[in-house]
Amino acid sequence: MKRLLSMLVAVALLAAAVPVFAETTLEKIARTGTLTIGTRRGSPPFGFVNKSNEWVGFSIDLVEQAIKPVIEKKLGKPIRVEKKESTPATRIPLLTSNAVDLVAETTTDTRPRRESVDFSLTFFVTGAQFLVKKGSPIHGIQNIAGKRIATQQGSTNARILRERVPGAQLREFPDQPAAFQALAQGQVDAYTNDGIQLAGLKAKAPNPADWEIVGDFYSYEPYGMAMRKNDSDFRQVVNVGLMEAIESGKYAELYEKWFGAKGEVPYPLTPENKRFLQMQVVPK
Amino acid sequence: MNYQFQWGVLWSGQSGSWLLQGVLTTLGISALAWILAAALGILSGALRTVPWRPLRAAAVFYVEFFRNVPLLVWMFFWYFGVPPLLPRPVQDWLFNHGAEFWAGMFALGVYHGARMSEVIRSGIQSIPRTQFEASMAMGLTTFQAYRLVIVPIALRLIVPPATNESLNLLKNSSVALTISVAELTFQTRQIETYTAKAIEALTAGTLIYLVLCVSIAAVMAWVERRFRIPGLIARGG
Repeated sequence: MKRLLSMLVAVALLAAAVPVFAETTLEKIARTGTLTIGTRRGSPPFGFVNKSNEWVGFSIDLVEQAIKPVIEKKLGKPIRVEKKESTPATRIPLLTSNAVDLVAETTTDTRPRRESVDFSLTFFVTGAQFLVKKGSPIHGIQNIAGKRIATQQGSTNARILRERVPGAQLREFPDQPAAFQALAQGQVDAYTNDGIQLAGLKAKAPNPADWEIVGDFYSYEPYGMAMRKNDSDFRQVVNVGLMEAIESGKYAELYEKWFGAKGEVPYPLTPENKRFLQMQVVPK
Repeated sequence: MNYQFQWGVLWSGQSGSWLLQGVLTTLGISALAWILAAALGILSGALRTVPWRPLRAAAVFYVEFFRNVPLLVWMFFWYFGVPPLLPRPVQDWLFNHGAEFWAGMFALGVYHGARMSEVIRSGIQSIPRTQFEASMAMGLTTFQAYRLVIVPIALRLIVPPATNESLNLLKNSSVALTISVAELTFQTRQIETYTAKAIEALTAGTLIYLVLCVSIAAVMAWVERRFRIPGLIARGG
């Protein structure tokens, strides 16, 4: 027991000692020539594997086309972007363990999360809704008491439902495909997630017409890119990258590519959200 | 960039009650699965040694089929694959009454039963053949020889590897979170969701698993001492 204790102490000391040698994220990128991002493999169109087996998406494009050039300018040398898979359960540990430098997927910016990581400015706004089989009696959060509702574990939605509709039977799945499978087979009556995620899932389903996205937004989900806390130089280049993209029309171009009428998941940008994005851009 | 530890998240809010619920679910699913695994393991382990080929073949099939497919696949099999075979009203009733728990329990129990079977078989085969012959000479039938002599000795021999299997079973119960069983690992993730403090939550989960496993190992060590047959396998102790 004594030996076990001393071992635990040694591990704890080691963990405490590491940050002494830590470098800033920009120093790390300069040293390795690589920006490592955490992103999703199954959340179209933010990060997903497409039909030709390429790992692509809106969040990935923002990093590669808006943020990467700004980092390259800042460091004065070309860098490459390396992608690793992150999920709601792993994204914060991936950051704090230095496995990735930036989480660019579908992370909702929240106050508790800001105590562990820093967020970029908001690059997308959505809210939670429900995906149901066509003709389902569920039309929104008002109908879900007593129903079996699938949620994605680690998302903000389950938390809100648990507080607002304690009568709903929540079934939490680690990833979207399992939750959708449960919905398709009737294990659950509805699947709830951010509206845009459901739109992506529906678009990818074998028969999109069999599914309906219902209900008003019952939550506010501003997506931001997450990074390690207290590294304001890195956060600055990420934000400048996003601001320049919004200002120059690059953001609009990428939005059109993924969410436009011919995009992966048609989801028009509302004038309200467009204005909100522009207001985040501070003057040059 | 220093990670700010906030151990307070483990006892503030609902964290404590979540962890407790998680522990209870983990223990519940593991205990039921263990009973199933032990029953299947003893049965098929014994069948693999009987002097009648069709029974041996059936036991071999069970063992090889279930232990050579990943547990995760069995979880999906019992949760997504089995219910559609039932009539719709039965399915609905099950889904409203904790189908995921029972699917997870069967997946764990049947999978570990196959592994337990090999442990039991090695126990039985380590018993000298003369024991079996002596039982026959006493006028016991094959079934009686197994029930009264072979299996009781084998069960005592296999306590250490069976402890190993039991601990594996307990820890493998965490795979059930993929079919939304709210066990211990699930609850540590839940705490992470609410507080964004992953390392604290995982540490709490790790320590709880450690305590559970050490306790089970202690109970099994007691069982080993309590049921030993003096003069036969009572070495050390």
